[in-house]
Amino acid sequence: MKNPLKPIKAIIKGIRPEAEGVKTYTLSTEFPFVAEPGQFNMIGYPGVGEAPISLSAIMQVGDSTLRDGSFKHTIKSVGRVTDFLKDFKKGDELFFRGPYGRGWPVKKAEKKDVLIVAGGVGLAPLRPVIQIVLNQRESFGDVSLIYGARNEKNMLFMNEFKIWEKDISLYITVDEVSDVSKSPHPPFTKGGQGGITKEWSGGINVGLVTDLLDRVKIQPERTIAFVCGPEIMMRFVCRGLIMHGMLQSSLYVSLERRMKCGIAQCGHCQHSGLFVCKDGPVFSYKEVRGLPDGAL
Amino acid sequence: MTGERTFQKFKRLIPKKAFLLWLDSLRKDYKLIGPVKTGNHAVFKEVDSSEELFMEYGTTMLSPGKLFLYKPNEELFRFAMSGKITIDEIAPIAEKQIIIGVHPCDVNAILYLDRTFLGTFRDPHYEARRKNTLIISLNCTRVSENCFCSSVGAGPFLHAASGYDMLLTDFESEYLVEIKSRKAEELFGLEGRSAGRDEMRLKAEKEKSMKSKFKKAINVSGLDNIFAENMDHPIWQQTAEDKCLSCANCVMVCPTCFCYDLRDEMSMDLKTVTRYRCFDACQDIMFAEVHGGNFRQRRAARLRQFVTHKLDQTNQYGVFGTVGCGRCITWCPTGIDLTEITREIQKFKS
Repeated sequence: MKNPLKPIKAIIKGIRPEAEGVKTYTLSTEFPFVAEPGQFNMIGYPGVGEAPISLSAIMQVGDSTLRDGSFKHTIKSVGRVTDFLKDFKKGDELFFRGPYGRGWPVKKAEKKDVLIVAGGVGLAPLRPVIQIVLNQRESFGDVSLIYGARNEKNMLFMNEFKIWEKDISLYITVDEVSDVSKSPHPPFTKGGQGGITKEWSGGINVGLVTDLLDRVKIQPERTIAFVCGPEIMMRFVCRGLIMHGMLQSSLYVSLERRMKCGIAQCGHCQHSGLFVCKDGPVFSYKEVRGLPDGAL
Repeated sequence: MTGERTFQKFKRLIPKKAFLLWLDSLRKDYKLIGPVKTGNHAVFKEVDSSEELFMEYGTTMLSPGKLFLYKPNEELFRFAMSGKITIDEIAPIAEKQIIIGVHPCDVNAILYLDRTFLGTFRDPHYEARRKNTLIISLNCTRVSENCFCSSVGAGPFLHAASGYDMLLTDFESEYLVEIKSRKAEELFGLEGRSAGRDEMRLKAEKEKSMKSKFKKAINVSGLDNIFAENMDHPIWQQTAEDKCLSCANCVMVCPTCFCYDLRDEMSMDLKTVTRYRCFDACQDIMFAEVHGGNFRQRRAARLRQFVTHKLDQTNQYGVFGTVGCGRCITWCPTGIDLTEITREIQKFKS
């Protein structure tokens, strides 16, 4: 019998610096890797340990980039495992196991308007959703992305915004401007005044993602929202969307918890009887709103 | 584990001596594990003869399930680190064993661990041991100070239909032996008086009399709602401040606590990494920590997690996390009692 905790070897096919302390690793293993958007792998290395990391790209129908069954993880170096990974080079080996968990209910979003709200590295687990939208654009109604980061140095996938904005309305914001003069993406505007434009190259707003909720035309009954970011951000985004008339059951969030196993055994991710690794990480807001030891 | 196919669930009265001799005869194929008197209390350990068994024990500090099925420490993988890394999966050791004298609470606790380790993802080590273990349960003859199993339906007599092999009830000089699995049916060759209606009535009377001896109780009706509605009840903060040391004794002695940590250990020559699993506890401050935050930084939150995982959160497996063994009360160095916490919250509500 195979131990489900047994890691699988993967080769790093490429590394792309994404933002400050963030890199995207393209990995491939002996078999074509298939997963659902929003699922995660346990990534690790012997002697260092393992950490749960969402997939930021997976093989999908019609997507030419990963037809070979490789997959991507966009990882910020913040802990023991992720810090260890930051010095890895192309051709190095690392270990993973997965995919685990319940992903974004993309099928449920078909024929509907899709509102994607992300904060910081929270955009990484949503990137496969964006890929599906781009690949099957006619299956969805209006699609908008509201994305906020601390500053432009912490913003992921900026090189892809130009492609995305052809099919998706982008609303980009930063909490603060790190250095306006050096910014590759001027002009910034203060307090959300007039900075929003459908042409992403036109600008970045300054303020919280919640400020931008009013800018999107939301038709509550035909919209489904996918939200990922710090839990406190998701709390206010969800509450804001409810004020826009959306139902709790149409809002989806992806939770972050400490995990050792990924297979509903080690207990670290338990959240009021839920195993975030197995029952989540994606939950409808209705399932997790107000639970103790969480910010939602 | 067993009992999927039909078998004869016979009930017989067997003299204790004969039963224990039969047990000894199985020692050539099985490791025999049971309660043994050590000082003032009993511990589950391997014995060389049934004479060592202390079947009249009240309770033990550690449950047999978390000693002999789900192990405190388990080596899982060995990585050879020189050159291309290779992984060696450590094969489960499937030693045949009999655990005798398992009280109903501890059998129910094993059935609870089954939900964790034989669910969607099956743990090969646990599964191998479970398959090779014969569980002989023993209905209780004593109620210990902190037992409250009768309140949660986990004792003092066992009513679970399957998942164990035999059930014994003390009938003075005899045991009422009930066969609960095909494996036990095949193994048990002793002839004896068949137990009929009279014996079963006597058993029911014994159960009734045992139930009247409980000093500790908990009112489980509507518990789920009460906890959910009182997550900020002052009892959590107060108990955390006045008593709780976050020592995790409660978790370590709990027969249903299943949490574990995965740890890597590098050999001194840097050539081998051993990945092993060991018990972990939600009372540890690092347990729910992630980058940029800790979901249970407060001691009160950790205490609440333990208590509500036992008495609330039934959405997880559809059953209570407690089997009412009372070990967490007995071994708490500052005397935290989850039945008292519950009563306090219930008082608040009424």
